Amino acid sequence: MADVVQLPGVLAQLRLIAGLRWNLLKNGLQRKNNRWDLVGIISAGVFAGLLVVGLCFAFFAGATAFLTVRRANWMGLLFWAIFLWWQVFPIFVAGFGANFEFKTLLRFPLSRRTFYLLGLGYGFADFAAVAAVCWVVAMILGAARARPEVLPVMVVVCVLFVLMNVTLERLIGSWLEKILAKRKTRELFIGLFVLCVVSLNFLNPVLQRYGNAARPKFLEYLHYLAWLPGSLAGNAVAGSVRGDMRAILLGAAGLVVWLGATSGFLWRRFAAQYSGEEISESAAPAPTKRKNNGATASAEAVRARSSNEEWLPMVPVTVAAVALKEFRYLTRNGMAFLTLLLPPIMVVFFTMQFGRGSALRGHSLKPELFFPGIMAYLILILITPAYNAFAFEGKGIQTYFMAPLRFQDVLLGKNLFLAVLIAFELSLSLALLVWRVGWPSPSMFAATISAGAFAVLGQLTIANWSSLSFPKKMEIGKMKGQRNSGVAVWTAFGVQIVLGGVCTLIILAGRWMSDPWLPAIMFAVLTAAAVGGYVASLGALSRLAEEKKDLLMETLCR
Amino acid sequence: MGEIAIATEKLTRTFGALKAVDGIDLQVQAGHFFGFLGPNGAGKSTTIKMLTGLLAPTSGRMELLGLDFQKHSVEVKRQIGVVPEGMGLFERLTGAEYLRFVGRMYGLDRATTEKRAEELLEFMQLADREKTLIADYSHGMQKKLALAAAVIHGPRILFLDEPFEGVDALAAGALKALLGRMTERGVTIFLTSHVLEIVERLCSHVAIIHQGRLVAQGSLEELRAGVAGTEGETKTLEQIFLSIVGQSGVEQARLEELTWLT
Repeated sequence: MADVVQLPGVLAQLRLIAGLRWNLLKNGLQRKNNRWDLVGIISAGVFAGLLVVGLCFAFFAGATAFLTVRRANWMGLLFWAIFLWWQVFPIFVAGFGANFEFKTLLRFPLSRRTFYLLGLGYGFADFAAVAAVCWVVAMILGAARARPEVLPVMVVVCVLFVLMNVTLERLIGSWLEKILAKRKTRELFIGLFVLCVVSLNFLNPVLQRYGNAARPKFLEYLHYLAWLPGSLAGNAVAGSVRGDMRAILLGAAGLVVWLGATSGFLWRRFAAQYSGEEISESAAPAPTKRKNNGATASAEAVRARSSNEEWLPMVPVTVAAVALKEFRYLTRNGMAFLTLLLPPIMVVFFTMQFGRGSALRGHSLKPELFFPGIMAYLILILITPAYNAFAFEGKGIQTYFMAPLRFQDVLLGKNLFLAVLIAFELSLSLALLVWRVGWPSPSMFAATISAGAFAVLGQLTIANWSSLSFPKKMEIGKMKGQRNSGVAVWTAFGVQIVLGGVCTLIILAGRWMSDPWLPAIMFAVLTAAAVGGYVASLGALSRLAEEKKDLLMETLCR
Repeated sequence: MGEIAIATEKLTRTFGALKAVDGIDLQVQAGHFFGFLGPNGAGKSTTIKMLTGLLAPTSGRMELLGLDFQKHSVEVKRQIGVVPEGMGLFERLTGAEYLRFVGRMYGLDRATTEKRAEELLEFMQLADREKTLIADYSHGMQKKLALAAAVIHGPRILFLDEPFEGVDALAAGALKALLGRMTERGVTIFLTSHVLEIVERLCSHVAIIHQGRLVAQGSLEELRAGVAGTEGETKTLEQIFLSIVGQSGVEQARLEELTWLT
């Protein structure tokens, strides 16, 4: 017989959960042994505090102003702002990380009702929820100051609004948890998410072109928003200002319906979790079927399709193996794959925004500026991962140190693949640029190409050093915490500023000396020097890898 | 006395103030199935990491197959295979892709790599998972794949850090048979495991490390002879282990403290 005399009540359990969350946060901070990470966290904390407090004043002032100047039906805008924040922000910050899995609490003796209430309570402990509740309170205070007579309705509406929001947020969160629990759906989801974010860039050019035509249609659909929580809450408060009981009841009843519906769905989701729903990463392996003819059949199949031909005949076997592995990893990294879509997308975006036919009209940019500008921008995007080249190796990094090779082969394989990839991306983007804005002068074209070669080769040596000295583990299919170490970021930033400055000076030197071919020649000389420096650095970097292998394995195998 | 496959001299590794491995002198003869035992945190994995080039020693020497590791690391690595702690797999490759990658990294030609990869996948019963990423393998499947990768180049010494952990009984039986045949062919196997029954069944020679120091080394018979016991009684490896690391009776005393549980 267990010694448990009495189970803790819901409040005591909520307190335990709050303590658990606090400990997770505190211990998470303790693990941030990197000074830059700590600086980042402190600055984010200060920024978040300022955001919440600053917006408290804004919501207070907004509510006061709307209710004082008889613009009570604008209160809906404030409710809408909070609604969108509460539902969307948690998706950005929490949806992609390996957070504490709420359902792990099921190992404890909890009733279904307690599990549900704990789930709701857990929802209130989010930064988004805390901030939103602060703003709602600020609105209530604003309303009390402007029109004390609407306070009772305001309080009831706000309570319903807050309960509905926390329930909906938990509902969305639990569905997200289900979607993100499996690697494939998680990667697909993140891919779609990033694509949506990227496509926001096109909002401005699209609005410029089609905005006026779409306006009447948009206004027509605006009416339907009245049935959504932000508008319902706003209408109820506005009704109380006018003394319109029907509007108050309709708004409050609408919120109650929303609350009931979301609670019902959330109860079903939590009930599924409570009854042991399995949503984990890897399902139990299917029974392995051994082929009847065993190894003989497959060996024959192998003989039929294998040959001794190398896929990169001019390159050492180990270097080719690393390059091939990099290619395979790229094809399985949705995020990196999407990064490759960015260059052509950005070319189209920039040329729509600043090229011929854009709103700039007579002031649109010319190919002479577009070519070096786009080249610089694209290299900036594409080379950044090279500063943390081992980010996705995980425990596989051990293979490089166990295998009989010099580490420079690994660096060569990775750099070779990256150089080929960048060359392909730049060729595609420049071809698009020619189609969109036309050719620049031959001298500028040559200067752009040789400057690109110099910028890439000039950075690889330093990027390799950064990768070995400041590794940071990243995981494919996650967004939270997926960034290079602070030092690597600053190194990349510094190098790119210096290289950008050098390239600009050389292009300007060509203009001052009225010699259009001078930049191309100077960049070619610099590229040759960069190649020499790169080759000379490989031995030293191999030795550095030996020195840093403890650090690399400790960081990446964690 | 046969050829020495592994020899260390005052091998030491410190982490800050902690001496994880403290001047161990280890000798393993070629063709032996050698068990390396110790309690948690004794220094087993640190030793295996140093012997396989995953960790640089703070001081001391290592010779594998007569070659100084520090001076001839590439040549030594060519002749050893490793299943490291954590397995060291590239999780975004399929099993076949990973084996091909490892084969090429060890310098095997393309056709040999392909052939051996297929045969190993068949043997490990992983062949029907052609398109499954390693990330989606179960723990036992990953272990089998790591073992396949460790032997693809036909190593002369095989280092195995907890090779049977998470592997089902059927697969474990096949693996043990494979390892047994490898030692018959002269391959040296250096194995760490917490399951003393496995070590007792497989290994002919054993070393015990405790708090970073080598406290016993020899054949099982030699270790039995070194431990006092009742006349005629054959000590199990577990009894020998507990007697050597000085834990005998300690667990009983601790249990007595938990009276509310017993």
